[in-house]
Amino acid sequence: MATPPVKVTARVADAKKWPSLQSLQYKLVLTLYRVFAVVILYAVLAGILAYAFVMGFYAINTSWAAPIILSAVDEKSLDFREKLVTSQQTIEDLKVDSAKLQSGIEEMTKHRAALLALEPELQTAIAREKKHNLATGPTLAALDKQKQTDNVKTQAVLAQLNEVEANIQKDLAAGLITKGDAATQLAALNQAQGAATDSKIAELLLTDSVLDKTTNGTTSLDVLEKQAELRSEAAQLDVAINVSQKQLQEETRQIDRLKQAISTAKQSPYYLNAAGGQRLYFAFVPYDNQTAAVAGAAIYDCLLNMIGCRKVGTVNQIFPGEEDAIHPIFKTAIRGYLIQMNLESAEAAKSKTVFLGRKPLLF
Amino acid sequence: MAPILLWLVMVLCLLITAVKYLMGVILKVSFPSTKIKKDYSYEPSVSVLMPCFNEGKTVYETIESISKSNYPSEKFEVIAQDDCSVDDSYEWILKAQRDFTNIRISAGRNEANSGKARTVCNAMQHSTAEVIISIDSDCIFHPEAIRELTACFAEPHIGSVGGRVGVRNPNDGVITAIQAILYYSAFQLYKIPENWTRSVCCISGCLFAIRRELLLEIEPAIRARNWFGIPVNQGEDRFLTHQTLLRGYGTYIDNDALCWTTVPNTLSVLFKQQLRWRRSIVRDFFYTLKTLPQHVWKLHPNTVLTLVLTPLGAIVALLVVVTMLTADPLSWAGPVPLITALGVGAVLSWVIKKYSAKEALAHPLAFGAYVAWSLVSSLLLTPLALCTMDSADWGTRTKQEPEVPLGNTTG
Repeated sequence: MATPPVKVTARVADAKKWPSLQSLQYKLVLTLYRVFAVVILYAVLAGILAYAFVMGFYAINTSWAAPIILSAVDEKSLDFREKLVTSQQTIEDLKVDSAKLQSGIEEMTKHRAALLALEPELQTAIAREKKHNLATGPTLAALDKQKQTDNVKTQAVLAQLNEVEANIQKDLAAGLITKGDAATQLAALNQAQGAATDSKIAELLLTDSVLDKTTNGTTSLDVLEKQAELRSEAAQLDVAINVSQKQLQEETRQIDRLKQAISTAKQSPYYLNAAGGQRLYFAFVPYDNQTAAVAGAAIYDCLLNMIGCRKVGTVNQIFPGEEDAIHPIFKTAIRGYLIQMNLESAEAAKSKTVFLGRKPLLF
Repeated sequence: MAPILLWLVMVLCLLITAVKYLMGVILKVSFPSTKIKKDYSYEPSVSVLMPCFNEGKTVYETIESISKSNYPSEKFEVIAQDDCSVDDSYEWILKAQRDFTNIRISAGRNEANSGKARTVCNAMQHSTAEVIISIDSDCIFHPEAIRELTACFAEPHIGSVGGRVGVRNPNDGVITAIQAILYYSAFQLYKIPENWTRSVCCISGCLFAIRRELLLEIEPAIRARNWFGIPVNQGEDRFLTHQTLLRGYGTYIDNDALCWTTVPNTLSVLFKQQLRWRRSIVRDFFYTLKTLPQHVWKLHPNTVLTLVLTPLGAIVALLVVVTMLTADPLSWAGPVPLITALGVGAVLSWVIKKYSAKEALAHPLAFGAYVAWSLVSSLLLTPLALCTMDSADWGTRTKQEPEVPLGNTTG
């Protein structure tokens, strides 16, 4: 590169060439421009220094917190409230369900007891029947034999009735007897045949009865089946009662857990914000600044986020749950937790930052 | 709405810059018409004007490099004009005059410190040549530089031709490494689309050739340049290029015409140099806006876009950086800008090493520091330039403040 130019003072010679009015105008413009330029440059310089100072200050300060105004319609609060209502509804449903289960268990227990009470009666009845059969079975068998013998004899007699009937027909044809007599005699023959048939039926029934009394017949099997059904039903009831009892225990535990969760949730700032009637103030504290966040610590609000600080309240409580937030100055993602503040001045809640414990710059 | 508009303008500026670089690559590789038709048989008489201020021995080395030029010695001369240096620069000029007798060297001295632009005009008073080449007194010139420049004037509508400026000291430090990459990419890529339309918006004053009649036509405007009565002596190269274009001539940069300059190797000198350049850009921007209709009707759209968007980009960059620092102070510290700079630096370093070994960088990754520099540059240079438009201080070579009134005097 070559030569640098002359300094501003070197313009005098050229300026002489300009008409004096124009020269005056230029002087005025230049003066205004220079005043403006000096102000702007000092403002830029002040801005840069202030900016650098703020950056440095927040890089090393460990007592700031960022106030957060939670709205009643805040998404997290609403979500929290919705989940709380859902949990409470679930508890109610579980309670109803548990009551039903309890009732069912009681019913089944009663039914089982009733079934089990039938068992000895059935056993007694079976024994009584066996004993009776043992007593009456042989007698009945003897009578059955006697009946069979009688029927054989009756059969022999009935074999002769055909001959008697033929004789009656002959006598009628010969006119030895009247038709009326013949009919009477034939009716008597039919009665005798009917009686014989009835006797055979009685014999068969008797044989059946003997069979029932002396062997395990179908009736006994029916009774045994009933007994087995009774026992099976009792066992099923046992299983059902057991399952219901376990389900009841599980639901009871679930209710306890939900109650515990609700109890914890009620300590959340979002619940407090959603449920509380009065305005509550919260602030985000990054983990780096947690030593300054203790219950009862003073809270300071400052001008320009660092100077001219005044006490505006105290830390009320600290919420243990982790929160993510954006650094109010650096705009980076940071982790920390929320605290509740007791503020004397609501305006402090609108500040970008507040300071915990002490004034950051001693004034 | 305002931030969106800012970002839109910023994105547009960046997009056009990126497109220009991309076009530079495409044109360089695929379009021979980008290059001017040179006629090496065309050998006009040439005056090499060398204004000088406080250069010391460097001026001797500069004249020495010109004396080794392959251009016919009877057809060129060196006119060295000292602008009242407070060191021994003039003595070195006289020594060069004695030592390099193979060429004609005229030595002159201003009666009063006049600034570079007026010193060039003063030197021109001693010239009768057809082509005037203005050079910087701290550069070293390639023997073919004059021949290359004059060969471009074979195209009759070409008014001004510039050469490529290389960095002599790329490995002095991080600052010079960054500048080496920026210089190389600017000449070899960014200005190629402008070359294509023969409408380069700023030919470097390090090596600036112009037709005599054109310079004579512009000379009164150069001498009359002032800012509310304060003479303007900075950015004469940009002004000359601009005036060449407005007078209907073409401008071109011949990358085969080489010269080497020593770039600032300290932050303070670089800052002052960049501030001076930024001031020139802003001044040129105001001039463009003032005569915008004339520009729109006369100049190639590519030229108008460059003349408007380059300074507008600088102004918008300031606002964007302020917005960015306010909204997301650490965004600049993220990995993306650094990785981008490192990537660009690595690629361009490789290209430089391959095609211009003299400028090869020892530490290509030094370009990563450009992220910090671009932030400082965007944030400080533009407001400082806007608020110091009345400053006539060159900034980088002043050894004392001359108190003599300005005059168009020659020695």
